[in-house]
Amino acid sequence: MTDKQSMHIDPYEKNWIRLSIGLLVVFATAVTVAGFAFGFQVPTPEDRVDPRTVATEGPWADPGLRELVPGKKYEAYILAQTWAFLPNEITVPVGAEVTFYVTSKDVQHGFKLQDTNINMQIVPGQVSKLTVTFDEPGVHNFICTEYCGAAHAIMFGTLTVE
Amino acid sequence: MKEQKNSETDEFEPKGTMVILLIFVLTLILLWGSVYLILLSRGVTV
Amino acid sequence: MLANYEVSQAEKKFIGWHLLFAVIAVAIGSLFGPLQALEHAGLDLYPYLQPLFASYYQGLTLHGVLNALVFTTFFITGFLTLTTIYGLKRPLRYPKLNAVGFWMMVVGLVVTAIPTLLDQASVLYTFYPPMKAHWSFYLGLTLVVVGSWIEGWGFYFTYYAWRKENPGVRTPLTTFGGLITMVMWQFATLGVATEILTMLLPWSLGLIEGTDPQLARTYFWFTGHPLVYFWLLPAYVSWYGMLPKQAGGKLFSDSLARFAFWLFLLLSVPLGFHHQYVDPGVPAGWKFLHAVLTYSVFLPSMLTAFTVIASLEYAGRKRGGKGLLGWIRALPWADPVVSAQLLAGILFFFGGIGGITNASYNVNLVVHNTAWVPGHFHLTVASAVTLSFMGISYWLVPYLTGKKLGVSNKVANIQVWTWFVGMVIFSNAMHVVGLLGAPRRTPLGLAPYIPEEWSGHLLRVGIGGTIMFVGMYMYVYIVAKTAWAKNYEPVEIEVPLADSIHDPQETPDWLDKWVPWLIGTVALLLIAYGPQLFDQISNIALNAPGGKVW
Repeated sequence: MTDKQSMHIDPYEKNWIRLSIGLLVVFATAVTVAGFAFGFQVPTPEDRVDPRTVATEGPWADPGLRELVPGKKYEAYILAQTWAFLPNEITVPVGAEVTFYVTSKDVQHGFKLQDTNINMQIVPGQVSKLTVTFDEPGVHNFICTEYCGAAHAIMFGTLTVE
Repeated sequence: MKEQKNSETDEFEPKGTMVILLIFVLTLILLWGSVYLILLSRGVTV
Repeated sequence: MLANYEVSQAEKKFIGWHLLFAVIAVAIGSLFGPLQALEHAGLDLYPYLQPLFASYYQGLTLHGVLNALVFTTFFITGFLTLTTIYGLKRPLRYPKLNAVGFWMMVVGLVVTAIPTLLDQASVLYTFYPPMKAHWSFYLGLTLVVVGSWIEGWGFYFTYYAWRKENPGVRTPLTTFGGLITMVMWQFATLGVATEILTMLLPWSLGLIEGTDPQLARTYFWFTGHPLVYFWLLPAYVSWYGMLPKQAGGKLFSDSLARFAFWLFLLLSVPLGFHHQYVDPGVPAGWKFLHAVLTYSVFLPSMLTAFTVIASLEYAGRKRGGKGLLGWIRALPWADPVVSAQLLAGILFFFGGIGGITNASYNVNLVVHNTAWVPGHFHLTVASAVTLSFMGISYWLVPYLTGKKLGVSNKVANIQVWTWFVGMVIFSNAMHVVGLLGAPRRTPLGLAPYIPEEWSGHLLRVGIGGTIMFVGMYMYVYIVAKTAWAKNYEPVEIEVPLADSIHDPQETPDWLDKWVPWLIGTVALLLIAYGPQLFDQISNIALNAPGGKVW
C-alpha cells in the first residue's frame, strides 16, 4: 500500500499554490513597507491608567489640546465617556502634527477621525495613541465606532483645521 | 512527489478552474489594491 | 465497521432536534435583520416595537447571538453528528453523552435568551466588558459552549472505537473534517471560557469589582476568529465531501482536502490579534506576527477554492459541458442543494477578498469598526456558511424525516436566489459605506454626523436586508412545511458522500495521524499567544467596574 501513497498534486494546482503564495508575499511586502518604512502604523501600548480616577487625576482631568511647538506640534488629550468626547471641539492650524492620547473612564469606545487613518479602540485602563499631520484646511468628525450604550449614535466631536 | 496516472477518464486538465481562479486573483488585486491606496491617501499615523 | 449499519430513527430524531433549535433560533434572530437594515435606510421601526423590544441594540444583540452563535452551533453539532456516524458506519459510542451535551446547549440557550429578551443583556454578541450583562447571559453562553464540547467528546469516543475496529483504514473525509472542526473548536473556545469563568461571571455576580477590558478582548478574540472557522469548516465538509457528488462528479483531490483541513487546525487559532489591530494594549510587533499567520491561513482556503472548483469542473464536463467555461452551465443549477452551495461559493470569493483586506495590518485602519466589517462577515457566516446550510437542509431534512421536500425544486431555488440577490445588494452597500467612514453597530438614523453621500448606500442596505429577510423566511417556511407535513411523499435519501478521483487509501499516512498535528497546533499556539498572554495576565488590573449603559 505504502508505495502507492502520494499527494497527487495536479500540476495546475501546484501553479495555483505558487501563485497564491506569491500574491500573499507581494501583499505582505506592500503592507510591511507602508507600515515600517513610511509610518502607516497601528497603535502599540503607550500607557495604562486607572479608569476610576482618570477623569480627576492626571492629564485627562483637564482634557484638551496642548501646544508643544506653535503651529507645528500638538498633543490632544481626549477623554471618552458615555456618550461624549471631552473635548468635542478641537481647532488646529494647517500643517499641525497632532498626537492623540485617548482613554475612557467607563466602557469601551471607538475613536475614528474621518478621512484620516486615525482609528482606535478606546479601552478603559489603556491609552490609545496615534499621530496625524493636517496638510489641508477642513473639518473632520471624530466619531465613536464602538457600541457604548444607549446614546452611542450621537457620540462624536469635530476637529477643524484652519 | 511522483505523479500517478492510474485511471483513464478521471484525469483531466482543470483549465476552466484556472480561468475562474485567475479572474478571482485579478479582482482580489484590484479591490485589495484600492483599499491599500485609500490607506496611502489618508496619511501616516506615527 | 459494522456491516449493514443504518442510521436509526432515534439517531435521526436526535439530529433533527439540533436542526429544530437551529431553525427556531435563526427564525427569531433574523426578525431583527430588516429592522436594522431599514433603520439605516431611514425607516426606524423599533419605536413601534416597544415595550416588547427596547432598542436597536437589543435587537442587534438578539440578531448576533441567535444567528451567529446559536443557529450555527446547533446546526453544526447536528450535521457533524451525522457525518460522524454515517461516515464511520457505526452508532455513537456513548449516545447518552451526546444527549447530555445537546440538552446542556438547549438549557444554555434558554438561560441566555431570558436576560437578552428582558433587555438585561444588550451587550451584542461580543459582550465586551465592562459593559455588564446579567450574569445569566454569561452562564448560558458557557453552557452552550460546554455542551458543544461534550458533543465533540462524544464524536472522539466514537472515532476512537471505530479506529480500533478499523486499523489502517482512511478516516472517511466528511468524518475527518467534522472531527477537525470540533478539535479546533475546543482549542479555540479556551479563550472565551477563560474570559467568562475567571472574569465576567465572578464580576457580574458581584464577587469581584471590576474587569480588565483589554485582557478580556484578548481572551475573546482568541476564540472570536476561529469561531469563523468553526462555522466555515462544516460548509467545507459539504463542499469537499458532498458537493462533488451532488454536482455529478468526484472529489478532485482527497489528499489536498485533508491537508487543507489540517492546516485549518494548525492555523485557525493563533491569529486573533488581527481583530485587535487598533487595540491600545497589544504591541504592534505581535499584531504583525498575527497578520503574517492570518495570511498563512488564507492558503488552505485557496487550496479549497481550487479543489472544489476543479471537482465541479470535472462534474460539469462529465455532464456534457464543453469548452473552457461551458461546464459551469452544465452543472445541476436546478437542484437547490447544488445552487445554494455554488452561490455560497461565489459570495465567499468576495468574503475572502474582504478578509484578506481586514487581515492586512495597517490596511485595517481604513475599515476597522466600520460598516465594512458586518458587510464582510455577512459574506462569510451569512453566505458561505448559512447559504450552504440552507442547501444542506434541502436534502438533510428530507433524509431525517423521510418526507419529500415540501416545495418544488423551483420554489426552493427561488429561495436560494432571493438570499443571494439580497446579500449582493446589502453587502456591497455595507462595504462601500464603510469605506466612506460609516461606523458599524450604530443606528445611523439617529447619528448627527451622517453626510449626504452615504444616503444612497444606506438605502441599498435597507433594500438588501429586506430581500434577505424574505429569503430567510422562505427557508424557514420550506423547512417547516417539510418537517411537519401530514400528507407527504415518502422518500429515501442517500447521504451524498462523494467519491474521490484517487482512492483515499493512496492518501499518505501522515494525513491521517493526529498526534503530530496536535503537537504542532499546541506549539504554534504557545509561540503566537504564550508570551502576550503571560504578559497581559501578569499585569492584570481588574479596575474597570463598568455597568449597564443601555
